Amino acid sequence: MILPVTQFAADNSSSGISSLGINLKSFVFQLITFLIVLLILRRWVFPKLVATLEARRKALEDSLVQAKQTEEALQSAEKKVGEMLQEARVQADAILAEANSKVDAIIAKGEASASERAARIVAEAEERLGLERERLHKELRGELASLVATATEKVLRQKINAQEDRKLIEQSLKELA
Amino acid sequence: MAALSRRQLAAYAADQLLDGRGPRALSKELAAVLVHSKRANQAELLADDIAYELESGGRAANATVTTAHELSEQLRKDIVSFVKKSVDVKEVIIDEVIDESVIGGVRVDTAGHSWDKTLRRKLTQVQEAV
Repeated sequence: MILPVTQFAADNSSSGISSLGINLKSFVFQLITFLIVLLILRRWVFPKLVATLEARRKALEDSLVQAKQTEEALQSAEKKVGEMLQEARVQADAILAEANSKVDAIIAKGEASASERAARIVAEAEERLGLERERLHKELRGELASLVATATEKVLRQKINAQEDRKLIEQSLKELA
Repeated sequence: MAALSRRQLAAYAADQLLDGRGPRALSKELAAVLVHSKRANQAELLADDIAYELESGGRAANATVTTAHELSEQLRKDIVSFVKKSVDVKEVIIDEVIDESVIGGVRVDTAGHSWDKTLRRKLTQVQEAV
């Protein structure tokens, strides 16, 4: 089939086209080559290329859809996170307020307990002091009485002779009688 | 046979003494009873009981008189008279004890009575009162 075409092109090479400076044979040959190449491309290359491009386009669309979904999910998650953060802040505020209240109560209780303990310690110390003072007074009185008795005994021993003692005994017997 | 009590022995001994029995023979008899009844360590207590029996029965009193100086004869008589009247007994035997720690005055102790008019006692009372 190619030969008649080239033959025709060669026959008309000297006609009008040749006058334009175009080699008809070469032109026809190139045209045929182009057509062959075009056919080959349409037959084996273009379908695969189109399919590949279509697949890529579809993948891209899927990616876009997925990205959109991801973005929506992200926005939803951010919204949820915001809500959760807000709720957490509220809970934290409540817990903090409760903790402050408990701390105040504990401090107040501790202060009361400490005051009570201090008062008890002071009372016990005062009681011990009082007992110690009483004991010392008693000891002092005892010592004083002992000293007085000792001094009195010495004086009496010097003063009481047999004669005085006799008078004392007589007086005692009179008192007893 | 149950053993006699110490009080029963004391009453018996007091009766025997007042009946004029000699103290030596009576002492031997009482000692034999105490040894037999395994109460030899109660001899002093029995003597005290006999003195108490004699005194409480109005028969006799053994008075221990403690003074810082020796008693005159008149004071002895006065003390005997005082004990007879106070304890209401017919006879009084005096045991004199000289103890300088009493300083002055007199203390009379019988089996059932005691009178302390010593200066030592008065000093102790003052000391205790303080």
